Amino acid sequence: MTARFEDMLINSLLYGVLAAVLIFFYVPIFTLIAFSLQEGRYLTLPFEGISLKWYGELFKSATALTALRNSSLIAAFATIFSTAIGTAAAIVAVRYRFRGKLAFHALTGAPLAFPQLLLGIVLLLWFSVLGRWFGFNTGVVTAIIGHVVYITPFVMVIVAVQVYNFDPQLEDAARDCGATTWDVYRHITIPLLWPGIFSAAIFAFLLSWGNFYITYSLAGSTRTLPTFIFSGIAVGSSPLYPAIATLVFIPGILLVITAAGLRRKYSGGA
Amino acid sequence: MDHSVSRNWRDPELLLKALPSVLLQTTCFIAPLLMTFLLTFQRTRDFQLRWTWDLATWTDVFTKPHYWTILGHTLVMAAACVAISMVIAFPIAYGLSTRFKRWENEIKILITFAFITDATLKTFGWVLFLDKKGAANFLLAGLGLPPESVAFLFTDWATLLGMVYNLLPFAIFTLYLSIDNIDRNLILAAYDAGAGKWRAHWEVTLPLCKPGIWAGSVLIFLLGVGVFLEPKVLGGGTSPMSAELIRQTFETRVNWPLGAALTLVLMTVSVFLVLLFTRLLNMKRAGASA
Repeated sequence: MTARFEDMLINSLLYGVLAAVLIFFYVPIFTLIAFSLQEGRYLTLPFEGISLKWYGELFKSATALTALRNSSLIAAFATIFSTAIGTAAAIVAVRYRFRGKLAFHALTGAPLAFPQLLLGIVLLLWFSVLGRWFGFNTGVVTAIIGHVVYITPFVMVIVAVQVYNFDPQLEDAARDCGATTWDVYRHITIPLLWPGIFSAAIFAFLLSWGNFYITYSLAGSTRTLPTFIFSGIAVGSSPLYPAIATLVFIPGILLVITAAGLRRKYSGGA
Repeated sequence: MDHSVSRNWRDPELLLKALPSVLLQTTCFIAPLLMTFLLTFQRTRDFQLRWTWDLATWTDVFTKPHYWTILGHTLVMAAACVAISMVIAFPIAYGLSTRFKRWENEIKILITFAFITDATLKTFGWVLFLDKKGAANFLLAGLGLPPESVAFLFTDWATLLGMVYNLLPFAIFTLYLSIDNIDRNLILAAYDAGAGKWRAHWEVTLPLCKPGIWAGSVLIFLLGVGVFLEPKVLGGGTSPMSAELIRQTFETRVNWPLGAALTLVLMTVSVFLVLLFTRLLNMKRAGASA
């Protein structure tokens, strides 16, 4: 009886902490969504009324639309490059033994533990000096490069988990049956690693889509949604900014749910 | 389960897959870091970089206590953030790997989504929530509490809240992985040997996930010393931290050599502290087992 009581106590304690943390995580997110529905001009309570008016304003604002376009562009390219490079690196890190493996791990994983703002600043210095020598300015391209540097290690870690659970004998079998290296990749390796690659790509897209620090340092005068919102906090202005923030959440919600559904489908089938 | 195959660097398969990431990180991570180091020996005049090669910047850094006070403040805040995050994350990670089985996926989705949403937006959300005329005070006033009972926005406490908020998921993920990897039989063995739940927890589970606790702490500490949004937006810029100082040095003062030097000081001191503590803990463990 006491053991059961103890068990219940632990359970309720754990669920209590969980509930508190989930509320803590979602307080600012729901606050933003709530404020985006404010009808009045200012971000103060009580609301003058509830309306979707600011979402309409959003689509009339040229700067907001440009920011949306830049965010999508940067995130699309950053996702493609970091997923490709990170997947290859994950296969190398898990499957091969070679000289300098430890150095390879350290080099490819290092940006994970490097504060984003400092990474952004170090890269800004680099591109500014190179830009002076070769005559270019920071902009969308440098922002994409910065995102790829920061995101590739995340992709590597996520895909590495999938590579680890992958039986390389399947590749050997295909090769024994006469498949070329490229055939093995196309028909065996990539399909089997797909769930990992796909989750990693989604993760990469979201990290880039919502990134502030690196874009802020490297995009020059180009604005993305997060940097556009940051300029809005400084001015401390209208419900337009919470409305943009809410729109930025939407791809995140959709992609996280898709990824989880897909993962369950794959793990259920296996 | 070690499937790894030996490969030579002349092997095209290894080269093709390893080279892109090696090139990326050497040209866009290591090389910029070296450049940052070289920049500390230059000077800026009239907002232009001059290649002078002298130690003026370093003399400045080592003679002004101002920079070191801010660095100390930053390290204390990061350490506090590590401690709070670990204490909160442990029950969540433990529950996720042992008791929340039924809702495991849903909980993971909720945490991942909160984590992946950009920090700027969430920090902005906190400002709206904590402001004197914000949502928290509005709700509390509705419950009959005196007006403006939540009044810690633009203090170090708000900064700390923002840091814990933004870095807590890292603690949850690393702890979850390490607790999930513990062989459950070891805990069952402890029960068989007559240990109660708490004793098994203290003497088996906790020691076994020490590497996870350590890895999570290091990650949070290193990320914590580099925060800039939280002290600026939630702390109101009243007590700046190193990253904010560095950003100002670059943007407002346009002093690249000084900014570069401060960046290197911040990274070196934090990495040194991490190594020092790792060393001390290892020595303690070695001493305890001897």
